[in-house]
Amino acid sequence: MRRVVHKLFWIWQLEKEQAWVNEMASHGYSLEHAGRFRFEFDETEPDKYIYKEIFLKGWGESAENIKYFRFLEEMGIKVVCYINYPGTCWVYTRALKKDYPDGIELYSDIDSKITYQKVMAWYMVLVIVLTLAGGLLNLWMALFNGYRFLPLNFICAVLLLALCAAAIVAEIRNLVKLSKLKKERKLHE
Amino acid sequence: MPQLALTEAVFYILLSLQKPLHGYGIIQNVGELSHGRVKLAAGTLYGALNSLVEKGWIDALPENPESRKKEYVITASGLNVLKEELARLSELVDNGKRLLGGN
Repeated sequence: MRRVVHKLFWIWQLEKEQAWVNEMASHGYSLEHAGRFRFEFDETEPDKYIYKEIFLKGWGESAENIKYFRFLEEMGIKVVCYINYPGTCWVYTRALKKDYPDGIELYSDIDSKITYQKVMAWYMVLVIVLTLAGGLLNLWMALFNGYRFLPLNFICAVLLLALCAAAIVAEIRNLVKLSKLKKERKLHE
Repeated sequence: MPQLALTEAVFYILLSLQKPLHGYGIIQNVGELSHGRVKLAAGTLYGALNSLVEKGWIDALPENPESRKKEYVITASGLNVLKEELARLSELVDNGKRLLGGN
């Protein structure tokens, strides 16, 4: 039986969302489809699947990503669904837990981890720029339009600037991870 | 210019591809060769295979319509690279043994 859950995760909460999806799977609910705030689960045996969420350059339909998805399927990792964002996509993959008892690890060397972290870091820059520009524009319209105070624009400005602040915190975490990986790369593969 | 050191993953992939293998076969073979120490992850393997094909060190064989799994095999140029890397690694091991007094 299908169960629909509405839940909000921000783009920088990938690990938190993945942990929640895996927890659902451990209770016998396998993710079959995900939208931006909507998750559809089917009842299945507990712990049948393990999920991994990944960020990729380009949309899910791009030829390069389709080739990659086919390769993952050869490895027993199925792409359940993906959500496109400007210039990137957020992909939900799963495998049988008996085949990947320690979880799905897609990157086993430091170079691949660095490349992946760079994609995340660049995307977060885009989020920061867009939310900051939107926030400042709304703030200017609310306060300095030369006519009167516009509360709706003010609320939008506060929300966008709060999102921007959260994205900056997430970006700092990304850059710290990236820096640690680069230091490690100087000594090890 | 001397060849730059290969990564452990690339070394083992080239070593495995002396006979045609598909992605999952490579992962299994590398695991066996290294007695389970080296566990290649799918994304890392995918990136490495694409780079090796681009460099001409391995070839992608025509797809088998039954299995739909792409197989890869080492090229003559890849074999040369592998032999040069083996010589480099032998030098490291020989010097290490000589200076540390091990055998």
